[in-house]
Amino acid sequence: MEKNNQHNNKNIKRELSLKKQEDYFLLNLLPIFSVLLGLLLSGLMMLLLGHNPLTVYSNMLNYAFRDIYNIADIFAKATPLILTGLAFGFAFRASLFNIGAQGQFYIGAVMAVGFALKLGSMPLLLTLFICFLMSMVGGSIWAAFIGYVKARFNANEFLVSMMLTYVAIAVMNFLLGGFLKETKGEYPQTDVIPDSGWLPSLIPHTRLHWGFVLALLVALIAYLILWKTSLGYKIRMVGYNRDAARYAGINVEQIFVIVFFISGAFAGIAGFTEVNGMQHMLIESFNPLIGAEGIGIAILGGAHPLGIVISAFLFGALKVGGNLVVQTSRIPASIIGIMEGLVILSVVFSYFIRNRLIILNSKKKLAVQERKDL
Amino acid sequence: MVEFKINNDYITLKNITKYFPGTIANDHINFTLARGEVLALFGENGAGKTTLMSILYGLYQPDKGEIYIKGKLIRIRSPQDAMKYGVGMIHQHFTLVPVHTVAENIILGTESYILKYLDIEKRIKKIKEIGKKYGLEVDPNAFVGQLPVGMQQRVEIIKALYRNAQILIMDEPTSVLTAQETSKLFNFIRDFRSKGYSVIFISHKLNEVMEIADRITVLRDGKIVGNVLRKEATEKKLTKMMIGRDLMIPGKNNILRTNQREILKIENLTIMGDRKSKMVDDLSFNVKEGEIFGIAGVSGNGQEELAQAICGLRKVKSGRIVLNKKEITNSNALSIIEKGVGYIPADRHKEGLVLDMSIEENLLLKNHSDSSFVNYGFLDRKKMKDKAKRLMENFEIKAASPQSKAMTLSGGNQQKVAVAREVSIGSNALIAVQPTRGLDLGAIDYVHKTLLREKKEGKAILLISTEFSEIMALSDRIGVMYRGKLLKIILREDAKIDEIGMLMAGITEG
Amino acid sequence: MNIITGLLVATIRMSTPLMLGALGEVFVERTGVMNIAIEGIFLMGAWGGFVGAYLTGKLWMGLLFAMIVGILCGAVYGYFTVKLKQHQIVTGVAINILTVGLGLFLYQILFGIPLLPLTVEPLKDIAIPFLSDIPIIGSALFNQNILTYLAVVLIALGYWVLFKTPLGLIIRSTGENPEAVDVAGINVERIRFLAVLGSSALDGLAGAFYSIGFLGLYTNNIIGGRGWIAFAICFLGNWDPLGILIGSLIFGFAEGLSVTLLTSNFKLIPNEFLIALPYILTIVATIARRKFNVPAFLGKPYIKERG
Repeated sequence: MEKNNQHNNKNIKRELSLKKQEDYFLLNLLPIFSVLLGLLLSGLMMLLLGHNPLTVYSNMLNYAFRDIYNIADIFAKATPLILTGLAFGFAFRASLFNIGAQGQFYIGAVMAVGFALKLGSMPLLLTLFICFLMSMVGGSIWAAFIGYVKARFNANEFLVSMMLTYVAIAVMNFLLGGFLKETKGEYPQTDVIPDSGWLPSLIPHTRLHWGFVLALLVALIAYLILWKTSLGYKIRMVGYNRDAARYAGINVEQIFVIVFFISGAFAGIAGFTEVNGMQHMLIESFNPLIGAEGIGIAILGGAHPLGIVISAFLFGALKVGGNLVVQTSRIPASIIGIMEGLVILSVVFSYFIRNRLIILNSKKKLAVQERKDL
Repeated sequence: MVEFKINNDYITLKNITKYFPGTIANDHINFTLARGEVLALFGENGAGKTTLMSILYGLYQPDKGEIYIKGKLIRIRSPQDAMKYGVGMIHQHFTLVPVHTVAENIILGTESYILKYLDIEKRIKKIKEIGKKYGLEVDPNAFVGQLPVGMQQRVEIIKALYRNAQILIMDEPTSVLTAQETSKLFNFIRDFRSKGYSVIFISHKLNEVMEIADRITVLRDGKIVGNVLRKEATEKKLTKMMIGRDLMIPGKNNILRTNQREILKIENLTIMGDRKSKMVDDLSFNVKEGEIFGIAGVSGNGQEELAQAICGLRKVKSGRIVLNKKEITNSNALSIIEKGVGYIPADRHKEGLVLDMSIEENLLLKNHSDSSFVNYGFLDRKKMKDKAKRLMENFEIKAASPQSKAMTLSGGNQQKVAVAREVSIGSNALIAVQPTRGLDLGAIDYVHKTLLREKKEGKAILLISTEFSEIMALSDRIGVMYRGKLLKIILREDAKIDEIGMLMAGITEG
Repeated sequence: MNIITGLLVATIRMSTPLMLGALGEVFVERTGVMNIAIEGIFLMGAWGGFVGAYLTGKLWMGLLFAMIVGILCGAVYGYFTVKLKQHQIVTGVAINILTVGLGLFLYQILFGIPLLPLTVEPLKDIAIPFLSDIPIIGSALFNQNILTYLAVVLIALGYWVLFKTPLGLIIRSTGENPEAVDVAGINVERIRFLAVLGSSALDGLAGAFYSIGFLGLYTNNIIGGRGWIAFAICFLGNWDPLGILIGSLIFGFAEGLSVTLLTSNFKLIPNEFLIALPYILTIVATIARRKFNVPAFLGKPYIKERG
């Protein structure tokens, strides 16, 4: 009799564990669900203006992929998004919140443009390398400060990173007003950087530049760090279970600083790609939402480099298609921001759904188990 | 079996049942309370005592069963309902706001006009009156966070009295008190009872229960197993009811007395707890090669702090910890791991496993910086995979694949993962704290067999457990820990169950 | 003389929306919830204020509408964070991104894209007789618009409610130990949700200050990060209404100073430094946290561990 019971128990448990794997697959479909939900809600907003959302969306798709210029533009727009998305996502893996990517981006941009302008006419590769390096260093130091004060003083990293962003804006504006100001002296912007600072074009006659390849490389590096190195192992442990990490002998505070350093580096590189690849100069308050969009992309992409790349691509397509639709119809440009915001909200909502499903499932399983025990 | 009659006297809980994920916390419980009675709810940790009282206090809703007051069926849907019926509860973990004053804590939620000016002086007067009436004087303007624990408890009691409680439920009230504070508390309880009120005293401490209770209801594994009047109760009887389980026959442990080389030595160790009191007090003992040293004792007497200190997770105030003649006092956790000390934790979900990671990653959790698995910063995934496979085979860990997440495993298999890892790391010594908590019989047996096997290999094993049947079955020598001290160290063959039970309750001979 | 008066006037004027926003934030953070959507709600409040005033021709309708819009936004934020217990930072960021587009979008639905920005006559200053004639400080303190007077009154009221009433005790206890409040039979979620709504109403009002209280129009950049300053002031002011008052004045002064200096060509200290000073101050304060009374359970969703 007892043997029978034990056998039953084993079977139940095996059923249960297999079931769980299936559930996870279903749950991974949730991001797609949330994107669709976000687009649906945006479609409703379009209706308010008297536009047919189906027409709008099909136009967006058509325009975005109409010709090589537009497709290339998608990747160009996705480039900095991949990097700021990685910035938030990487820190998120350690259960840390780097809200300051916008500021780290600006510092990286300032470094990049500063060196590009002042280095004069050095060989292309050298200039690019220096700009890249300095943007990375600028961003990472700007962020490491956050990690340090969190580790040492248990300071609230949200507030510190938010404030540092505004300090970064002030620094940038200060430099734009003097040291880096254009020779014409009219506007708060720099001169166009000399050719030696231009990231080469990836596809001729488009805006797509090698910065995109760089972004993909960085995504790959982020992936490798997180899943293939000892450091990444530690980072993920800290993110999932800080107590277990301590018991495993990890210096959690040290990990804080390292994670913010790397995260800031990613955001700083985004500054490099935008300055040297896209804008070729620095204009006051450019790309003001790149940090926030990075957060949204990271959440949508499940804080995974591959998901982030795909999400960045999606947002890029939204921007390109959206911009074209806006130019050719009477839909206001703000619809793009609305779409982005609604998609992110839908993702948050989908997390709630997912947690509910997990809880419901485990309650169901307990009931099943009880019935079988009786 | 006498048919359970609804007691018209005061409070009756009938057929109360409560399920939690994976367990039955209260199993068809019938329970009564009379006026002017001090009733002790007695049982081990996890027996279901707090859950039952939380139902009476409206914090939980029972899945089955009813509550009657004076024979009338009532619903208690929230603490506000409970307070309406005169039930007050003093929880084990105080629900106080440390930065507010005593008065502010007491009156929280009692005012009906929330936007009217709060004349605190009037309330303070009432508080002082209550304090005087029951001998529970406390300064209403003091900040709760600065009060000693005994005083904080007084605030909790006055909180209930301020709301006209006629029944006080006290959950393990003496676990944080000194002997003097305990005796003051007991005086209050007696005084309260003499005024015609009742007290439900939840405790696992035998001596206190014997001292203060009029009647004792014993809970075990969610069921009531006994209900005795104080005058009919003996310590032996109660202990037996509390533990109940058939003790495993000591023959399980093949005594292997290898030559007593000392591996782990604890010398005059004193550790301060989070509340600035001594959790470990001048403790000394050693663990020899091929020996299982069992520390018995109710949780909260310093065992966790001791284990954390040995593993480098807590600083000691004074004293030494020595491993194989090398001092490791206050070393960091990683170096102690590298010195071959394994730690099987009490709470595998919190300290032992990272549930979101794969089984393989969990098995190698402490090898994150181990040069045998790391080349130039990169993880040697192949080596990790091989090692994981080997461990899974050797320890019979059943799972779909090593890549499955740890959370998909059953409790028993999860513990096997922790055990496998620690055994593999602990080449010199193993610390096991509550290693079989929450496991089914098969898994418990497995863990025990593993510990015995490692003992045979010659490792020094420190076993800390509140299940003293477990201690009895596995240990070569047994120490009983109470309030940070080791009361006695006995050889297992000399150990008597009754004696250990009493030592765990703090009752020393004489 | 004129410059000093001008500076004082500007200080108090610019500190008004900060006071409102920070006060709301104090109340909501005292219950343990951070209203991260503050910047976005400021913006929607500016929109609502302008739209309400323009469409009805009455400024007070604009203010009312701004509050309603704020409450609606707060309801969304509160639903996600208090009820669904989702992450405050992520939800707040989502709303902040959303409102940037939404404000402009809804504006364009109503008004299309006008050649010149539509304007509304902003709030007029109300001079308190006699007091406003006091030299130097008179016009600064007693010749302001109604929102400024309201803000000061609300701060005094807020102080009184928070520290002298049972409601205030409940609010403060919720942020310090929600379990204590729960055990006393009070619904923690309800308190928090209402606090979110209340702070969002104030945020809406604060945003409206920029559009109809001061500039008389609506643009997408009208808030420019000042919601975050209000957020920081709550922290710097130690979650105390009186501290808020001082903090708002400091930041208002910084803003007033930079505007005055900008127009007067007097460049001793770089303008950007003045602008950055408050943020730097906040960082320093955050690091020296030990002296500050952060509500113990700030940011942590209260999950009852029960069935």
